[in-house]
Amino acid sequence: MKADGLKALTNAHAWVGLIISTVLFVVFFAGSLSLFRDNIDQWESGPHFANEQVASKVSLDQTIATVEQQYQIYMHDEVRIWLPSAQQPLINVTFAAELPDEQHQDHHLLLSSTSNTIVGDGERFDFANFLYGLHVDLHIDDVGKYLVGLVTLFFFVALISGVVIHWRKIITKFFMYRKDGSKDRLLDAHNLIGVMGLPFHIMYAFSGLVFNLLIIYQISYVIVLYNGDQEALFRDAGFVETHLDETKIKQPMVGLDQLMIKAKQALGNVEITRVSIEHFGDQSASVVFSGADPSQFSTRKEIKYHIATGEVLYKTLNNYDNTLRSGLSIIASLHFGNFAGYTIRLLFFLLGLGTCYIILTGNLMWIEKRAKQRKVNQFGLHLVKAMTSGGFIGVIFATAVGFIAARLLPVTMVERSDMIVNIFFACLLGAIISALLTKQQAQFSKLFCKLTALLLCAVPLLDWALLSNDILVMINLGKFDVIIVEAMLILLALGCWKFGSAINQETKVTIENEVTVSETI
Amino acid sequence: MWSRTLSGFILGLLISISVALNLNLMLPIAQDVSLLIGLLVAFPIWVTVQVWSYHFSSAKEAWLKGLMVLAPCASLSIILMLMRTFG
Repeated sequence: MKADGLKALTNAHAWVGLIISTVLFVVFFAGSLSLFRDNIDQWESGPHFANEQVASKVSLDQTIATVEQQYQIYMHDEVRIWLPSAQQPLINVTFAAELPDEQHQDHHLLLSSTSNTIVGDGERFDFANFLYGLHVDLHIDDVGKYLVGLVTLFFFVALISGVVIHWRKIITKFFMYRKDGSKDRLLDAHNLIGVMGLPFHIMYAFSGLVFNLLIIYQISYVIVLYNGDQEALFRDAGFVETHLDETKIKQPMVGLDQLMIKAKQALGNVEITRVSIEHFGDQSASVVFSGADPSQFSTRKEIKYHIATGEVLYKTLNNYDNTLRSGLSIIASLHFGNFAGYTIRLLFFLLGLGTCYIILTGNLMWIEKRAKQRKVNQFGLHLVKAMTSGGFIGVIFATAVGFIAARLLPVTMVERSDMIVNIFFACLLGAIISALLTKQQAQFSKLFCKLTALLLCAVPLLDWALLSNDILVMINLGKFDVIIVEAMLILLALGCWKFGSAINQETKVTIENEVTVSETI
Repeated sequence: MWSRTLSGFILGLLISISVALNLNLMLPIAQDVSLLIGLLVAFPIWVTVQVWSYHFSSAKEAWLKGLMVLAPCASLSIILMLMRTFG
């Protein structure tokens, strides 16, 4: 490539990286934590139900009967039941309940699998889902989803442009890390982590695009290839929908236990994890039993019955027997890192944090370069500095406060999860405003990093101060979710503390250099 | 920079859609396999065109060169669609 082209591409790489940096940092940070979503979920709720055991036989009929005693289930929404496992001993049921004036309200109940009684409200333990939602769509619904998709697209662009820029030196300078010059150190760290994690980054950029922007190609295929027939595309794509029309004739929802026995026989080597019921209470009601085959990579099995007759409506033993759905399932498994236990998730977690560091070093290099220029837009420079310190450290700080709130707020509090979300966004907003108002960005970042590290360390202390007996019960039962989450938070705290200290040294070096320069002059 | 971003974004999207459709219309394979291939190639093409547009020194050049790639791809798509409709 010609020098002009390379220079234009280098400028574009820095520009694109800067534009997407804050959202990308939030997405990668929340995504890295979400690799341990189930553990965070159990960290939050597990100690409050530490003595709950998994029943040897779970009764779906009793579960439904218990829910129906207290709620009038809304027929037009799906009823979903997540069966208990060794890690998660409760039955989770989500549904909508009918209210007067044709209104309905969503519910998430936690039921004991041994007594089939309602033991808690699942909506009060939602911090893990909140972090995952932040990763997926920043909690701005469809707009957020497409925004994250666009950011992911330009992340992919930054990756490929980075490879093109660095291509001639990708082998020779692979292990280069110059620790003396500040700019060299940032650049070498940026390149080193970027090149070493390249397959991981490309996989995440591609899979993220598939999740968030696939609809663009879906629309074009429907219009051009399928003459507007979306159902035909879905059929070819393996999304087989076998709906039965509602009859408006009431049908008691019983016999699900018998159907589950039949489903287990029909699906073979699979642990059924989810049961979903469509048209609850109607004669047309159907139930789907689904689960993953533990002996194969990314293979889901599913069977659907008509509840009234027991007739099989649909069955698949291999990802709906469709290549596209198998491909999507593989892409999802790679993205979620759920195919090789904790080892791969830990690796992905570290690489995810490494990506956060790449984004940070990219911004710091841009700031350093601009700060040296005579004609620079001071407001723009201050804005980037503030978004880097307030936005990047702010999201870690807000997460730390969110964890503390999730541990401190009483489980009896009705709006508990909403309160944690409000606290999170208030902290993030406060951090960004504080960063915008401060002039001493280095000092601010240093103190903010160390404060965040202390808050992250406070979470394990609070865990053991408040719930030590329950945590010990969990550990004795072989459930280590609290320990895993605490280890993750301590690792983050160490990173924040180390980074805060590095800012201290950096400031010192810069001041010393400035003194040397002024003395020379 | 914004104008080159726009050229890469729009032309990259159109070229990727066109190539994915062409592959779907030309490859004599099952439809689900064809859809998966289209999915696998579409995003990387979009990203490549976006990166390519950034390496030009002006937006005008990026638009012109991009259109020169889009024109044959889109023409082939139209021909293949006509062949499917009337062939």
